[in-house]
Amino acid sequence: MTALAATAPRAVPSTTPLRVVVVNGSPSEQSKTMGLADLILDTLRTTLPIEVTRVDVYRLGSGFTGALERDDVPPGIEDTIQTVENADLLIAAAPVFRASVPGMFKHLFDLVDQYALADKPVLLAATGGGDHHALVLEYVMRPLFGFFQALTLPVAIYASAGDFDGTTVLNPRVHGRVEVALIDIGNILAARVREVADQAEASP
Amino acid sequence: MNFEIGIMTFGEVTADPVTGQVPSPQQRMRETIEQAVVADEVGLDVFGVGEHHRTDFVATASPVVLAAAAEATNDIRLTSSVTVLSSDDPVRVWEQFATVDLISRGRAEMVVGRGSYTESFPLFGYDLRDYADLFREKLSLLLRIREQNPLTWSGRFRAPLVDADIAPRPAGDTLPIWVGAGSPASAISTGKLGLPMAMPLLLGPMNSHVENAELYRSSARAAGHDATALRISINAHGFVGSSSQHARDTMYPYFATGMMENNHQRGQGFPISRAAFEAQASPAAALFVGSPQEVIDKLLGYHELYGVSRALIQLGFGGMPQDEVLAAIERLGTEVAPVVRREVAAREGSTG
Repeated sequence: MTALAATAPRAVPSTTPLRVVVVNGSPSEQSKTMGLADLILDTLRTTLPIEVTRVDVYRLGSGFTGALERDDVPPGIEDTIQTVENADLLIAAAPVFRASVPGMFKHLFDLVDQYALADKPVLLAATGGGDHHALVLEYVMRPLFGFFQALTLPVAIYASAGDFDGTTVLNPRVHGRVEVALIDIGNILAARVREVADQAEASP
Repeated sequence: MNFEIGIMTFGEVTADPVTGQVPSPQQRMRETIEQAVVADEVGLDVFGVGEHHRTDFVATASPVVLAAAAEATNDIRLTSSVTVLSSDDPVRVWEQFATVDLISRGRAEMVVGRGSYTESFPLFGYDLRDYADLFREKLSLLLRIREQNPLTWSGRFRAPLVDADIAPRPAGDTLPIWVGAGSPASAISTGKLGLPMAMPLLLGPMNSHVENAELYRSSARAAGHDATALRISINAHGFVGSSSQHARDTMYPYFATGMMENNHQRGQGFPISRAAFEAQASPAAALFVGSPQEVIDKLLGYHELYGVSRALIQLGFGGMPQDEVLAAIERLGTEVAPVVRREVAAREGSTG
């Protein structure tokens, strides 16, 4: 039933999966934001080999929250930020909080190197209590990654509380939008998988 | 399918904005039963009672109110509107409604929902964080109780049942269970289960549930249910006046008070200006307020939009005086309902 499988390029057989990093801006253990991110990951998995790392910004602790600049972060957090910087695809997923992304989410990107995300594909996803918050994607998140000169994907994905049963996205429109977003970048991602695979073969 | 028209109430105990008088809980309770009696007398099809766990409502135990209404009426169907199933025990809910069914000779129904108010969750020791899981599990148990007895079941939120003998069984073949559903996700879940769906429409455009209704039917079809046999009900506020102006003038102060007092969104009331109210009363908006002809038109509009086969009008919200409420119930039964039933029958006959 997925339109994606029909139109996206065939998966490149590769032992080197695409490194996908989800930056999760939700403070909740079980969240609609991760429910939406999981839907995106599951859809992506149908066409590409991926390896997923999840960064929960609310679980990074006081070493992270107390860091005023990059030099202040403890080694573990440094590794986490580097994982974000080295992703092949970044999924930036955040709940709308106080009319914007949560501060912790922004704080992580305040510590990311200014040029580390240049030309990096970034898929924007957000959830909120109602449809009125949908433009957080365009007015808060997209400008942030524009600053980083990242390659934000044209279609960003928003889901409202009413689209979920618990943390499961039920509304087929949201599923459809996820597919549209990924079809747009199927070729780009497949090319990156190929590049990654080539690099892996080239290195001794 | 016959088009059913009914009324529903939350039994609010609110200071009258005109006189400042607060009715006693006893007075409001007796008035609630009297509304059921008049609705039955004028041939309305359904009487619904809600469930809100606060002292500014008398209706917290809807099956008890419905049992009293059952004894005072002959033909009208008696339903909750809604039963907050998430914070209740499905076994007890079943026992109570099946009891009302026996008392009323088979007239009991229930609309189950997650509830738009949250007071019942801490009251009965449930965690709002389990909102979705609670409803899913409890609804699935309630449906199991309806379909088989004795029953063996286990879940997360109540003690397991081992060969449990759950009584009474209903008077007729079954006891209708509707689901109150206001979001796309609820519509999809309800359709999947093949249950009838009650759509609450508080304010806004009449067509704001069109997508939900489509999702409901398509998910029902996908799950193998006969979508044409599935029933949808629309539940909205309203008042049938002697004239268009009388209806609006009478309803507005009480409705505005009700919204202010009872719509505690984040601890604040919901102010609605007269202009906003007038907009909600216009032909394309939700409210069933106006002359009998206007209410007829709106009911037929809902039928055309959604193929609904039931409409429940919440009459007198905000503590309207009883004489006005009873007069409106009478107009609804004698002037509105016969025309709507005839028109719907003609429409459905002509489309096969």
